[in-house]
Amino acid sequence: MSTASLNGLDGPIPDASRATSGRVPGNKGIWVGICCEFVEFLVLFVVYFVARAHFPEAFEQGAARLSRTAGTTITLLMITSSFFIACSVATMRVGRRGASLAWLVAGLLVALGYPVAKWLEIQWNLAQGINGDSGIFFTVYYYLTFNHLVHAVWGILGILWVLARHLAGGYSAEDYGGLEALASYWHATDIIWLVIFPFFYVLA
Amino acid sequence: MTPTPESANLRPLIFAWLTLVGLTVLGNQLGTLLHDAAWLQVMVAGIVWLKGYLVADRFIEMRAAHPFIRNVLRAFIAFAPLALVATAFFGARLARWATL
Repeated sequence: MSTASLNGLDGPIPDASRATSGRVPGNKGIWVGICCEFVEFLVLFVVYFVARAHFPEAFEQGAARLSRTAGTTITLLMITSSFFIACSVATMRVGRRGASLAWLVAGLLVALGYPVAKWLEIQWNLAQGINGDSGIFFTVYYYLTFNHLVHAVWGILGILWVLARHLAGGYSAEDYGGLEALASYWHATDIIWLVIFPFFYVLA
Repeated sequence: MTPTPESANLRPLIFAWLTLVGLTVLGNQLGTLLHDAAWLQVMVAGIVWLKGYLVADRFIEMRAAHPFIRNVLRAFIAFAPLALVATAFFGARLARWATL
């Protein structure tokens, strides 16, 4: 079975002949970064679970005080920008450069909604008297979500860089490793948010 | 003559995105309806795993990736759901183990 049919995509995936050993999406460097990112957040998740085990009431009550609308908005922004950037890679793979650029710009615009939504959420929190000193739940919440925001901002800067290279004709159907590396980082950052979201906004 | 670009089949990506949106809405509804039920954490853990798997499988194309990358993704995606279930049922024991 080819990797293309395996993924349900029509376009050829480079290095499909290496399907048995597998390919590296993007490049090895970005996967070193993604692994470091995963390790960092695994440590933070352990902090969350230890704190939750020690103070279950604080975590149940804390989640109810946060804006679930804000958390849901950020979740929808992350999965939608991730989807748009996946479409950018898929269209570049079949040589549709214009469509790939359009999907990437759409991904960037939606991704920019994340820091805006976070800023509005923090203003809302402060209006409710919620800050980093409001208890163990909110300390862990601010630490984890700000950390994720920092990683997302790096991703947005990466999208801008890849967009500049794309506009300059830096990618083709045969060579789009940089675009796919950025996409892999953004998807990994998306996966991390999908874990964080229920920690603080759903499990009330 | 310039070759005509092929069309990309985006349907699997669209399906994955719609499923992710649906699971987000479902998770929110469960959080509202089940509120403090212990097994809310089990259901949320299942949704977290499924959403992470969808992004890894459809967007990163995990199944075609190098085994090391596949294993890293699978392990990371499984960690939080397993820890959620462990905290739901063995929270007090976990707190004792983690006490200095």
